[in-house]
Amino acid sequence: MKDFDVCIIGSGAGGGPVALTLAEAGYSVLVLEKGPWFTEKDFFKDELACCRRSVYTPNLKDEQHVLEEYNGKNDDGSYKWRAEASSDSGSDFWNGSCVGGSSNFMSGYFYRLKPKDFRLRSEFGAIEGANVVDWPIDYAAMESYYTKAETAVGISGKAVAHPFLEPRSTSDFPYPPTAEHAVSGLIDKACRDLNMHPLPTPRAVLSQPVDDRRSCEYSGFCGSYGCSSGAKGSARAALLNKAVKTGNCKIQPHAKVYHLRSDESGKVIGADYYDENDAKQTATAKIFVVACQAIETSRLLLASTGPKHPDGLANNSGQVGKNLLFSAGGSGTGEFSYSQFDNALAEAMKQRGPFVNRGLQDWYYINDKNFGAPAKGGTIDFLFRHPNGISKANGEKWDDDGKLLWGKPLKQKLKRVFAETKYLRFEVFNDWLPTDDCFVSLDPEVKDKWGSPVAKIRLGYHDHDLKVGNYLAEKSESVLTQMGASNVRSSVSGAPPPNLVAGGCRFGNDPATSVLNADCQAHDAENLYVTDGSFMPTGGSVPYTWTIYANSFRVADIIKKRL
Amino acid sequence: MRKELIKKTLNQWDDTIPDGLLERMQKRQSRRDFLKVASILPAGLLLTACDKTATQAPVETNSPASEKSPILQQAPWNTFTAVHNHLFPKDNDSAGADDINATLYLKSVLELPGVDEEDKKFIRDGVTWLNGMGQQMYHQEFYQLEENHRETVLKRIATSSAGENWLSLLLLYLFEALLADPVYGGNPDKIGWQWLEHKPGFPTPSEDKRYYNLI
Repeated sequence: MKDFDVCIIGSGAGGGPVALTLAEAGYSVLVLEKGPWFTEKDFFKDELACCRRSVYTPNLKDEQHVLEEYNGKNDDGSYKWRAEASSDSGSDFWNGSCVGGSSNFMSGYFYRLKPKDFRLRSEFGAIEGANVVDWPIDYAAMESYYTKAETAVGISGKAVAHPFLEPRSTSDFPYPPTAEHAVSGLIDKACRDLNMHPLPTPRAVLSQPVDDRRSCEYSGFCGSYGCSSGAKGSARAALLNKAVKTGNCKIQPHAKVYHLRSDESGKVIGADYYDENDAKQTATAKIFVVACQAIETSRLLLASTGPKHPDGLANNSGQVGKNLLFSAGGSGTGEFSYSQFDNALAEAMKQRGPFVNRGLQDWYYINDKNFGAPAKGGTIDFLFRHPNGISKANGEKWDDDGKLLWGKPLKQKLKRVFAETKYLRFEVFNDWLPTDDCFVSLDPEVKDKWGSPVAKIRLGYHDHDLKVGNYLAEKSESVLTQMGASNVRSSVSGAPPPNLVAGGCRFGNDPATSVLNADCQAHDAENLYVTDGSFMPTGGSVPYTWTIYANSFRVADIIKKRL
Repeated sequence: MRKELIKKTLNQWDDTIPDGLLERMQKRQSRRDFLKVASILPAGLLLTACDKTATQAPVETNSPASEKSPILQQAPWNTFTAVHNHLFPKDNDSAGADDINATLYLKSVLELPGVDEEDKKFIRDGVTWLNGMGQQMYHQEFYQLEENHRETVLKRIATSSAGENWLSLLLLYLFEALLADPVYGGNPDKIGWQWLEHKPGFPTPSEDKRYYNLI
């Protein structure tokens, strides 16, 4: 194989912007992707393929994780941890192994971070037991790349003036909002009655055709599903297809990189991978970019020992894998019976397809004596219960006492849940504080099907995350109640959502406490960059993907200048 | 062998399950429920390696009720059919298990790749245990029992962890037969979607793009 200018490991939101930017600039780019290369023609609204069989994620017996969960305290007060392989527990931490990665399957709720997110430590002070730090760059350094992503990825939305709007260099989004559901107006009214500021949620979904991507076709099955119209702004549909068209970008699917080879100087000289036939291959390049999603990026670096990197690549300060982040918070639900609306509204409420597209950021910063000192809060998003029928039915097979239902009572319940009730949900996103109890290491025993140690993930969380999450959940519940929903309830816990993951290779100015410098270049391997969510020292209180896209465009420009 | 099984108490049933299996199955269930709520992305199931040759296995589509499919008269399918029809009976205004091809669908699940072999074995073994309980209580196989005796037997086995898990798994695949795309052999003529007024997404999979053709 020829020597490339740049070799990118991973083809998701972290890899796509680098591939496109450098291929368009005329540099030769190789993208190594572990999974297959699906296209729009392979994506259907098929619940079995999407969500009940392992089609887009690995079989857990072949590739898995070991998860360490909190298991009480020792006599001396220290925490006990219980490790379990995910093939035993069924706890699946894969999010999409194919060209485009998990961006194929996102819902595309896109929010920017806000200026204070870049300096949480300075703004809100230290929190005991948490490793909160300021970022080495500010919002201004990222703003133009957030804007670039709006066009390049295809983000539809409407910028409205509100007390929490982050600074924008353009007045509005390049594409108008996606079509909205009747419930959005009801949410607006309830929020305004409560003196809140409902926001239209930007979405990485095209509301009009662009190039060879069609507009959203509003089937109502978006999150968890690959997009058959090309409207969803996956790295594959929005960026990699274009990169390939330049003639400068080669995408190699079924290429599982297991080791990055480095020389006596510490430089990376090759990416060792297994090809489709499990034969060992090595790719060479001048610059290597790792973007395998946070957990697998840390795992690959830890496994990539070399003469100058005895404990793993870029790990000479022991920081790789540390300060892993998820998104804290939880979710809740309220129920509406169609019979509580007039006929026209009932029919409108039954409609499937348009998006809810409403969020609240009134408590992105909490300034409430009842809560305590001023603190970082978060985002609330409204959405319908996922339309997947099988999982919905399966969730209803237990009665209130936890006994299995069957026969007529089961059928009556299904009819009520499916045909008579609309479920409006909310999700709370708040910062998952970085702590010493949430990190990635290599498991000493469990291996993947190629014989490499799998990632072991300790899943500790900070109690402060629950305090903030509960505060926001209470506000969210008040909206559903104001709307006239019944059975309003919510759940906030320290259970990590596997699809909202970042950190592990945080960037910073001090090599002793960070893995990457402000350019997302490894402190101790000068031709190595990390461009997925791993770089984030703190996560902000929104889904990560827009920030990952923006940062990857930023780093791509840095690499371009260097080449 | 059978006589031994008949003598087993419900608790002893649980003892016949491999160590940790029930716990794992329960966890998978709860994890799925959690992921369904918390995740934008799919909660993958615990699956086994796929046998590409098995993907050629025919899936019987749009098959009518059990009396028209001779295979369903044979063991173990006669027992599965009896259980399915009890769990999901036909009534005046809605389809029953036979109408959604529940047993033929389950048969295809057990033959195709994509579901854990441990789960498949557990589903098959359950037939023996269930018929053992039928014999113990009424001296008949489950499918030979009258309806109120079937209810009594199922209620009894649901008090054991193994029995409850077995019924829970059968319900899961019954819901797949009710609500998965008709291309998989259940939900003939979209009968399940129509009953529940469930609006499916689009495009729907063609025969050559069923999930096992993609893995």
